[in-house]
Amino acid sequence: MGLQENLLNEPVRQLALREAITTSPDLPLREVIQRMREKGLGCVLVVDAEAKPIGMFTEAMLRHLLVENRAALDHKVGQEMANIFPWVELTDPISTVLDAMQTKRHRFVAVVDADGKVAGLTGQKGVMEYIADHFPQHVLTQRAGAEPPLSEREGA
Amino acid sequence: MSEQPYQDPREFQDPLENYDAPEYADALEKNLMEQRVSDLRTQPFISIGPELTVREALATLVGEDIACATVVEDGRLVGLFSDRDALERVALEYDDVCDKPVREVMTKEPLFVREDDSPAAALCVMAGAGYRFVPVLGADDRVTGLLNPPRLGDFLQAHFDGA
Repeated sequence: MGLQENLLNEPVRQLALREAITTSPDLPLREVIQRMREKGLGCVLVVDAEAKPIGMFTEAMLRHLLVENRAALDHKVGQEMANIFPWVELTDPISTVLDAMQTKRHRFVAVVDADGKVAGLTGQKGVMEYIADHFPQHVLTQRAGAEPPLSEREGA
Repeated sequence: MSEQPYQDPREFQDPLENYDAPEYADALEKNLMEQRVSDLRTQPFISIGPELTVREALATLVGEDIACATVVEDGRLVGLFSDRDALERVALEYDDVCDKPVREVMTKEPLFVREDDSPAAALCVMAGAGYRFVPVLGADDRVTGLLNPPRLGDFLQAHFDGA
C-alpha cells in the first residue's frame, strides 16, 4: 500500500502521538509556560473535570501576549485559551490531521478517545514523522548542514 | 602530444556496470528524492539582524504574523528566532532580556539545507532532527528561503494529487 492510501486509511492511532500536557483552566499562565518548557511542547490542552478538552493554549498565542498584552501572563490559562481548536478521534484517518495542517494551517491537533477524553497530541511534527517513517532509508540518511562547506579544498 | 596507450575495446570495463538506479515505490517517494528544495515554496521569509533587541524581534514576528525569522549577519545565517525561543528563553524573563540583542536568545547554528538538496533532506531535518524551521542556503551561502511543515505539506499534497 502506498503512502497516499495509508494516509487515507490508517487511523490516527498509528501516528506517534505525543503525550499531551493537560491542565485545568485555573492554572496560572506562568505555570503553564513552565510546564511547556519542561516538556518541550508548544501546546497545552485545557480540560474539564472529565478530562475532555475545552481549550488550547499554544506558543503562537504566547508570542502575541508577549507583544500585545504582557499583563495577561498573570491571568489563568482559561482566560487566554482558544475555545475553538482542532481535534480528531483515534479512529479518524490520518488524512484528517494533514487536512487540519494544510487547509486550516493548524500546528497542533488534539486527539481524543471514543469517550471524548484526551488521548494525546499530534500535528505537523507527527505527520512529518509518519511520512519519514515510510521512506526511512531515503529520508533519514539525508545530509543536512550545520556549517557552510569549506571555502578551500582540503588535502591534496 | 602524448599518445594514449591502446586499449582493446573488448577489455573495457564500464565503471558503472554495478550501479543500480534507485527504485521508488511510488511517485511521491520519487519526487521527494529527485526534486530539489528550490522546487518548493520557500518564500516569503523575514530576516533580522542579531543586534535587534528581543523586544523588536518579537514585534517583528507579531507584525509579520510569522513564527520564525532567520537571523543574518553580513549576509550569513547565524541563527533562527522563533516561537520556541520565545517560550524557552524570553517568556518568563521578559523584563530581563527584552532590551538585549536577539543573538543572546536565538537558536544558534541551525541545521539547514541547500537549494539543490532534495525535499527529503528537509523532511529529515524536520522529522529526524525535530526542527520545525529549515533555512535554505544558496550556492553563495546566503539565505534564499525558509521551509516549514506547511510548505513541505503543500509539496506532498501536490504530488498526492498528481500520483
